Amino acid sequence: MKRTIKERSVMTSPTDLPAVGTTVVDPPGVTDPGSGPRGRPAWSAGVLRLDRYSGLYLAVILAVVFSVLLPDTFGTLSNARVIAASSAIAGILTLAVAVSMAAGTFDISLAANMTFSICLLGTLLTSADLPWVLAVILTLLAGASIGAVNALIITRLGVEPIVATLGMSSVLAALSFWVADGQTILLDGVSPTFTEAGQATIATVPITVFYLAAVALVLWFLLEHTPLGRYIYAIGSNPQAAKLAGIKVLRLQSLSLMMTGALAALAGVVLTMQLGASAFGAGAPYLLPAFAATFLGATQILPGRFNVRGTIIALYLLAIAVKGLQLQFPDLPWIKDLVEGTVLIVAVSITARAIRQRRTR
Amino acid sequence: MNPDQRAPRLDLRAVSKTFGGTRVLHDVSLDIAPGEVHALVGQNGSGKSTLIKILAGFHEADPGASALVDGRPRSLGDPDDIHDAGVRFVHQDLGLVPALSVVDNLALGHGYARGMGGRINWRRQTAAAEAALRAIGYEVDVRALVEDLQPVERTAVAIARALQSAQGEMSVLVLDEPTATMPKAEVQRLFEIINTVRQQGVGILYVSHHLEEVFELADRVTVLVDGHRVATKRCSELDQRGLVDLMTGGVVDEARQRSTTVPGEPLLALRGVRGAEIVELDLQVLAGEVVGVAGITGSGREELCSLIFGAKPREGRVTVRGRELPALRPHTACALGMALVPANRLRDGIVSGLNVRENANLTTVRRLARHVRIRPRDDRRQAASISTKMSVKAPSLESPIESLSGGNQQKVVLGKWLQTDPHVLLLDEPTQGVDIKAKAEIHHLIDDVASKGVAVLVCSSDEAELERLCDRVLVLRHGRVVSEFNGAEVQTRRLVHTSLGLTS
Ligand SMILES: Nc1ncnc2c1ncn2[C@@H]1O[C@H](COP(=O)(O)OP(=O)(O)OP(=O)(O)O)[C@@H](O)[C@H]1O
Ligand SMILES: [Mg+2]
Repeated sequence: MKRTIKERSVMTSPTDLPAVGTTVVDPPGVTDPGSGPRGRPAWSAGVLRLDRYSGLYLAVILAVVFSVLLPDTFGTLSNARVIAASSAIAGILTLAVAVSMAAGTFDISLAANMTFSICLLGTLLTSADLPWVLAVILTLLAGASIGAVNALIITRLGVEPIVATLGMSSVLAALSFWVADGQTILLDGVSPTFTEAGQATIATVPITVFYLAAVALVLWFLLEHTPLGRYIYAIGSNPQAAKLAGIKVLRLQSLSLMMTGALAALAGVVLTMQLGASAFGAGAPYLLPAFAATFLGATQILPGRFNVRGTIIALYLLAIAVKGLQLQFPDLPWIKDLVEGTVLIVAVSITARAIRQRRTR
Repeated sequence: MNPDQRAPRLDLRAVSKTFGGTRVLHDVSLDIAPGEVHALVGQNGSGKSTLIKILAGFHEADPGASALVDGRPRSLGDPDDIHDAGVRFVHQDLGLVPALSVVDNLALGHGYARGMGGRINWRRQTAAAEAALRAIGYEVDVRALVEDLQPVERTAVAIARALQSAQGEMSVLVLDEPTATMPKAEVQRLFEIINTVRQQGVGILYVSHHLEEVFELADRVTVLVDGHRVATKRCSELDQRGLVDLMTGGVVDEARQRSTTVPGEPLLALRGVRGAEIVELDLQVLAGEVVGVAGITGSGREELCSLIFGAKPREGRVTVRGRELPALRPHTACALGMALVPANRLRDGIVSGLNVRENANLTTVRRLARHVRIRPRDDRRQAASISTKMSVKAPSLESPIESLSGGNQQKVVLGKWLQTDPHVLLLDEPTQGVDIKAKAEIHHLIDDVASKGVAVLVCSSDEAELERLCDRVLVLRHGRVVSEFNGAEVQTRRLVHTSLGLTS
């Protein structure tokens, strides 16, 4: 029953430590920021780090499987290009969701914001006949301002984010109709450099992919390598403690909602460039997949945290799965909705469980 | 080993626990006889709470462990089975639902009073909740959310909930650091309750870092060192010194080490400060001075630091280094060189979701950035130096903060603020849940800080701590200062007496 000190692990024995000694033991392989309080499950301990990269492996496996099954449709370069390009716009919107979620707020109006931006851009380009660069800048500013209004309603009036932004969605739907008269606006008279900016390819890679990459890079740097990002994660996790650490919680929440608004507008701008027309109501279908990919992303790379790299992995995993299934079962048009809805529910339940375990400790 | 022939109320055998490759409990066995108070002691991170959480079914033990309650085997890892066996818990920081009211928390697992048609009878329910708390000596607004309560009130709710069990239903009562933020007078009241319960034959498992409590209350004591049981002894066979030796393998230096400089100019001044409990308070803290505040629960002691720092609304003037600090502006307080180590560690102190490194560097991360980029190496180095200085025991700097033991979380919070080189340091229950050795170290750090000319204000429920640390102590009662002790007058006994309203 009685053990001597010597039998114990040398590393953590308090007797051979100085009065104020390092007791931070750091055995290699135990370093794991993301495991839940119940400890890391055994299956994740291997070199594969399934707890962090499962989505990446799954994406690769799916890509290979579909390429083998469908060598003529899925396994082609042009299909890869289609997946990359179509995900780029969804990706910008998904990152917009991730930014607000990281700061502990929520913006469901971002699809409506995207729709509104498309309509506004179309009107500025045709009726107002502005140079396209200026029109794009104004549109992005409008998006950010919508985020600022959301922020005001949430932080100053104390309205729950879900309610505030649901209301804002409806208001924006009305504004979109008013601005564009409920019509798709063709952009025939606009300088060809405008559509060029959405349809060009660089070394055969669609240019929109580079837009997504640029946005992702900036956000990744911001969230993971700057004090600002550290603060955003802190307010997203425990706003009360963050406030008492001297962090201006309301200001940062407002800032992230404005970034969300600007990114939603950017998604609208890129879509308009790609289509060469400002399609009325084009934002709405992007809403659900964006949330699905964001929550799925929070289970990857840095589990439990809304992070950029995880979000990108989730985005492409979803895109590959949906596209593959669509090509495999061309007569089942509902397959996309089914996959995205299921992923949203499953991913949210995983993330919510991780967060709940954290809270109840 | 049993003091008598009856079956032990609780018999835990061969409990081990591994968290992600690190073994934190090694084959620990422990038994509690009917009517026995069995103390469980050990340094921060030695595995006390883990053992208790395993018993409660919150963590799963490694294979091989077993538990018998009243001689009957029970399945570890099944909270319902353990609850049915009559084991009740007052956890260190878990077990209440923060977002629910006190009434709801007391009703959870016990049931609501029903009225006509199965409707909840809120009036009866509320009255019952108030009565349950009054029975253990606390006046708490039972409609308040648990997350808004002071730590000691939360403990009271947890105790009241455990005691709700019908007569004879409770077999074992487990208390994990119930007195961490409890003034002496209230500790005595808790002991009376515990003694009543033990006379009914309930077995009690009692965790505390206050060793004098162990000797006053317990029949036997089990000592954990790094997850190993190193001894189970009758308290009568031990003295405090011997127990400290078993726990730490060495002596603890409790002497004050302050270069007695003459205090400088006032760095912190309060005039007519008023809050929810504090009626009127004037106070000055000079550079290099350590001023203490004592008082029972509800005296205003618990809210003072939050009022000053701006975590709670207040009236009256606060000046820091001659500059006025408006109410409810924590970031201005930080900018003026003030630091607050809050009492409510889970709500105000740690940011769960961030890891140990990010928590330790939260207040100083701006200094670690060149241009806008945080330099990863400095980030790691500073976090490592904080945890070395505070002797934090953590699996790694990248582990989630919530995987640290309670005392180690507290050390991280303290370290995070000491790192900012504050001019004014507000400490609210600075050593709650910290083991005696680390506590002595922290006291030395506070000595150092004061010697460097920082104005320190300590609000503590631990009167002995105030005696150890302070040049001057104010005693609060009903929101006002009732007396002030200077220098050698600062004595635990006098502080306890005056805070109770007795003459010292
Ligand atoms: N969920 C978890 N994941 C990983 N490690 C954990 C977890 N919970 C606890 N630990 C580790 O287990 C060890 C024992 O922790 P425990 O909370 O039991 O200590 P304790 O004796 O209660 O300390 P304290 O006096 O500070 O409350 C610590 O080293 C801690 O870091
Ligand atoms: Mg503990």
